[in-house]
Amino acid sequence: MIYLDSAATTLQKPPSVARSMAWAVGRLASPGRGGHLPAQRAAKVAFACRQAAAELFGVDNPERVIFTSSATHGLNIAIRSLVSPGARVLISGWEHNAVTRPLHRLGAEVAVAQAPLFDGQAQLEAFARGLEQRPAAVICTHVSNVFGAILPVGDLAELCRDRGVPLIVDASQSAGCLPVEQDKWGAAFVAMPGHKGLYGPQGIGLLLCGGEKWVPLLEGGTGSSSALQTMPDFLPDGLEAGTHNMPGIAGLLAGLRYVAGRGTGAILRKERELLARAVRGLETLPNLTLFAAPAGERQGGVLSFQVKGMDCEEVGERLSRRGIALRAGLHCAPLAHSSAGTLAEGTVRASLSDFNTPAEVDRFVWEVGRLAGRQP
Amino acid sequence: MVYYLMVCRSLTYAQRTAAMLERAGITARVLRSPKVIDREGCSHCVKIAERSLTPSLVVLNRVGLTPRRIFLQAGEGDYREVGL
Repeated sequence: MIYLDSAATTLQKPPSVARSMAWAVGRLASPGRGGHLPAQRAAKVAFACRQAAAELFGVDNPERVIFTSSATHGLNIAIRSLVSPGARVLISGWEHNAVTRPLHRLGAEVAVAQAPLFDGQAQLEAFARGLEQRPAAVICTHVSNVFGAILPVGDLAELCRDRGVPLIVDASQSAGCLPVEQDKWGAAFVAMPGHKGLYGPQGIGLLLCGGEKWVPLLEGGTGSSSALQTMPDFLPDGLEAGTHNMPGIAGLLAGLRYVAGRGTGAILRKERELLARAVRGLETLPNLTLFAAPAGERQGGVLSFQVKGMDCEEVGERLSRRGIALRAGLHCAPLAHSSAGTLAEGTVRASLSDFNTPAEVDRFVWEVGRLAGRQP
Repeated sequence: MVYYLMVCRSLTYAQRTAAMLERAGITARVLRSPKVIDREGCSHCVKIAERSLTPSLVVLNRVGLTPRRIFLQAGEGDYREVGL
């Protein structure tokens, strides 16, 4: 099987990830909940993971690296911390349901900074216009999970800083392959999963906290200030109620070390080369609509396409039967499809990781060619 | 032996403190705070040798890491708070 669904979750992981998780089971207890050796070991692993993340994502203090169960969990914390019911929020047109659903539940007044796909300058201008309405917060994905478009988060962060508006960044598709620079951006929150570009297991994520305003989503035991009935007013404890996912944290630490060792720049270069190879092959095919950036540097390792006259789910299913694993439909991001004009039909999405090869991409292009009516 | 216990607001804070001291060549160990010195119930502290208190405070002050409270441990169960 050729796995091209890394935007959902990376399947191939560095071998150290599974080894670390297996080691953790039976050896790591609950960090901070006891003075015994297994608790101390767990504390060391958790701290090493916070430090590795802080170093990779430009956070000066590992206390501001919060373990979550997923990027969705982190985004919910961030949104509940900054957005009051009915408050005005400015978001990009490429956001995932992990952003739009919590906002909907809060009854937020959502303004969308609409811009054409892959047009970073227009996107920035749309945000600048939206910021004139003084939103309570701005939320922006770093990379569209549907189209791979890279949004100008660095420049947007500067706009938000200038206007004193807190920024939440969804780094679900960028962490591990693009520079994520929490302190430089001055973002209030940056949320990311551990199981995509960081090559950790499912069930673990990170929330980087830049601001002083945060509100727990869960309340419970933290192993600290236990005599009090309120949650600790310090990080990370205030946002980490309940027992930690230690096998997940151990696996994430191995994944972070892999990414740091390879270098995000090297991973991005590889994914871009593979993406360019796929685009070169697919754009020669008839009956295909391809969503590729005119200039490759505005796109991460995610590529959407449609085969004319075929339902996207049928394309996904037929490619799956031919050993190509990718994802069709709306990708939990109806807003992004609405922004691109693909809401009615959806798209088929191929997404790459550091473990894909040129031969796999060639085979994928060949199989799409079969479906589209011509072999390249 | 006489030790100092620096009570920290969280385990992670204690780990940061200990890591900073170790980097400066000061032996430091993270442990759960003894119940009698723990005001809020469950906290962590950093244990250092008596001779390390002054250099530790210099190092920690330089990087902005402040212990919540400091106790002198003169013997088993004998803790005396030290003014910061």
